[in-house]
Amino acid sequence: MPDKYFYESGILKALYTDRKEMHSISLNNYLTLGLKKHQIKLFSFRLILFVALSCWCIGFLIGSIFPGSAYSIIALPFLKKFYGIICHQRIEKSFFYNGHYFMVCARCTGIYTGALITSFISLFTLHKLSESIKILSIAAIPMIIDVISTTTGIYSYNKFLALLTGIFFGSAVFAYILAAIENNFVDNSL
Amino acid sequence: MNQNKLLPSLVCGFGAAVLTTVPGIKNFACCLIVPTAAVISINLDHKINRSEFPIKAGQAILFGVMTGVFAALFSTFFDLLTTYLTRTNDFIEALPQTEDFIKQYKLDSLLSETMIIFKQMSKDINSYGFSLFYAFAMLVSNLCIDVIFGMIGGITGMSFFNKRKTKI
Repeated sequence: MPDKYFYESGILKALYTDRKEMHSISLNNYLTLGLKKHQIKLFSFRLILFVALSCWCIGFLIGSIFPGSAYSIIALPFLKKFYGIICHQRIEKSFFYNGHYFMVCARCTGIYTGALITSFISLFTLHKLSESIKILSIAAIPMIIDVISTTTGIYSYNKFLALLTGIFFGSAVFAYILAAIENNFVDNSL
Repeated sequence: MNQNKLLPSLVCGFGAAVLTTVPGIKNFACCLIVPTAAVISINLDHKINRSEFPIKAGQAILFGVMTGVFAALFSTFFDLLTTYLTRTNDFIEALPQTEDFIKQYKLDSLLSETMIIFKQMSKDINSYGFSLFYAFAMLVSNLCIDVIFGMIGGITGMSFFNKRKTKI
């Protein structure tokens, strides 16, 4: 048996071991590269979301961030109308800074700030998120209680409470949506 | 997308546009109206067309976008109708205040041109109740916001219904 002879004499054995090692090395490399590629993809996606959310937040804060800019003042009526689509913009429920009211109410400010904070944190924790309706429901409870209490007159509207409950809810909503997108799009595209 | 597929988005988009026009409801729902409409449109589609689970991501996004587009079209129409009937709107009412602010600064040619457009728009609305520039600006901003929020609603709805179905 020449094969057995070669194997036992060490020639084929050496060749076989080399191939096995080469195979395992290339598999490891492939996995590492694949993982890196996946993480780069996740990071890029989350970075895009973070930039988009930052632009969105700068948009409703523009009057307060750049109070002396004529460009920001001329953009104010348009932006007010733009953000008016998604918020009631009642000034008694909005924050005031640098001579301008924010273009969304305190609760909406909280929701978008919460989403921005979570999107920033998500850039540094690139692990897979799970879509948990339970967490989303728990995060919504303080906000719902606050809305019901202020509407029924149990206690009067407090901007900081609205902001806080909004941040809590916004963080959970962002995490949920991010998980849903990543689990259905980013993962499938690999 | 056939007619039956468009119907849930059309109905929910119309509903969302009506609700965004009612001032009292906006105080409670804020930015949740259009996403909720997108979620309901996915549910309606499954009831009407008996589509199979799990809902595909692309399909959910499409429902969200379509609901957003319909909501934007209808809310622009309602806004233009209100402007036509009243010959004014909050944009026009805020214009003198903007002008007062602007007077404090030295304007370059671009800003001066913008102010001229604003004034023309205000004049058109006061005299005819309609301004093409205002209609275009409203349509674009409504489309941007409603499509984004519709997509968010579509994704949330897909995730919610798929999870509920797997639990059952």
